Amino acid sequence: MALLEATQLSKHFGGLAAVSQVDLRVEEGEIVGLIGPNGAGKTTCFNLLSGFLPPTAGTITFAGEPITGLKPYHIVARGLVRTFQHTTLFQDMTVLQNVLMGLHMHSRKGLGQILFRPRAFPQEEIDRAHEVLAFTGLSPLAEQLAKNLPHGYQRTLGIAMALAVRPRLLMLDEPVTGMNLDESLHVMRLVQTIRDRGTTILLVEHNMKAVMGTCERVVVLNFGQKLAEGTPAEVSSNPEVIAAYLGGGVTHA
Amino acid sequence: MKSNMRTPVVLVAILLALLVFITVGGNYYAHLLALVFTNVILASSLRLSILCGQLNIGHSAFMSVGAYTSALLAKNLGLPFELSLLSGALLAMLVGLVMGYPSLRLRGVYFAMVTVAFVEAIRLIVQIWVSLTRGMSGLSGIPKPSLFGMLLATKTEQCYLALGLMVVVLLVLYKLEYSRLGLIWKSIGMADNLALSLGVNVASYKLLAFALGCFFAGIAGAFYAHFVRFLFPPTFDFLMATNILVYNYVGGRGHFWGPIVGAAFLSWLPEVFRGSEATRQYETIFFSITMLLTILFLPGGLITLPSKLADLFRRRPVGVAEPGSAAVTSG
Repeated sequence: MALLEATQLSKHFGGLAAVSQVDLRVEEGEIVGLIGPNGAGKTTCFNLLSGFLPPTAGTITFAGEPITGLKPYHIVARGLVRTFQHTTLFQDMTVLQNVLMGLHMHSRKGLGQILFRPRAFPQEEIDRAHEVLAFTGLSPLAEQLAKNLPHGYQRTLGIAMALAVRPRLLMLDEPVTGMNLDESLHVMRLVQTIRDRGTTILLVEHNMKAVMGTCERVVVLNFGQKLAEGTPAEVSSNPEVIAAYLGGGVTHA
Repeated sequence: MKSNMRTPVVLVAILLALLVFITVGGNYYAHLLALVFTNVILASSLRLSILCGQLNIGHSAFMSVGAYTSALLAKNLGLPFELSLLSGALLAMLVGLVMGYPSLRLRGVYFAMVTVAFVEAIRLIVQIWVSLTRGMSGLSGIPKPSLFGMLLATKTEQCYLALGLMVVVLLVLYKLEYSRLGLIWKSIGMADNLALSLGVNVASYKLLAFALGCFFAGIAGAFYAHFVRFLFPPTFDFLMATNILVYNYVGGRGHFWGPIVGAAFLSWLPEVFRGSEATRQYETIFFSITMLLTILFLPGGLITLPSKLADLFRRRPVGVAEPGSAAVTSG
């Protein structure tokens, strides 16, 4: 049984079919890449899967249960967590506080807890947040404000926050956008380590090199429809995929 | 003196100074200060909405609900002040829940427009329901406040009460802001989508902030009713709602003390310009100029004035400490 399965997923904005009858399966323990040229519907797909947008048609099941049309926080509670394409952080909070917010799902939060505890966060949560920071290599920056971090670290922090939620499936939207080679290698290694520790990964990426080196299976979208699916090697030699990326001819770049 | 001891000492000093001032200041200053304290409660209670990133220009509506509820319960049913105040606050919160639930899904300026409608809706209800509220004739004969069966007859005594209410409300609000709940509200204000993606039920936390804000606005309204002892629908109009918002912006919306400083500073203005009809006109002008100057030169509000001045004189290096190993990123 697939961990995540979308069947005939469609999203129409007025007359525009942003995503049209896409079937998508992610097995437990995989790293799957979702690629495609600009405007192919990758991010819309993410928004549908994570509950940020309701689909026009189609069904989504996660771990065998239907999640179509559920609110994002209900989907998060089941273990499907997403990050954002544009650097999205709580800019005026410290790195540690950002990660603590990721622990929200797992914290006890009764009213008594809120009003009568001397500290906003119990020690075990702070410890847990520090673990996540150590794992992602952000420990030295724990007390910095998120907005003061260099871009590469900000992106990593986004992943760290999602990790704090303890996802079963982590959906990363363009995790290495705007990074130099070293940084993007670092993040891709991190993604692999996360998978090796038992979290399934679905990632949207523009950077073909990053996708090809990391993903075991790749799904290609174009104009909202599934164009191809297979191993990175199969997909990158598929003439239709090359045509879609280069806009025409079938010559190798 | 250790810096973590300084704040409590300063606060106690301010509190003592206020107590002395109320005691020796006579009726005029007691009256004025009580209204300033009311405004502080209003401004600080609006801060809950501001934390969530919401532009709420309808706070006077909930003050009005609190004021009329408390006044009518005390006047018609003889309820003691403590109970009528609490009922006023609770009803304001209830109305806030009912009105907030559908409107909080709107964002930005659309939400702001709906809150303006709250003010007009409540004002019209109060104005038209003449049999209960006396409408535009105004509601008079509201009993003076009492505490534990003790009538607070003089302005000075009532001002002590206002001070007490303000301190209690501010303590609760402070506790809320620096709790986990406050952090969640702030996270919604900074990036609501991100909060949503981390499993925060954004809609219900927003509604909680809004309703709690209405509760404290109801407290301010209830005190106002028993203090001024005359209620008139247009008192709780759009201008008052705007003022509550302006207190926050002029004082500084980035900090707990912002609305307190803003309300304390701007509430005196009407008195300065009270002299005659002619000088009255300058009040609005001065109010607007203050707001414009603050927005232009102190975007962080008056609360940032000391640090700005310190910067001017010392020319501190700009920016923060670089993280240990800053990676150079390529676009």
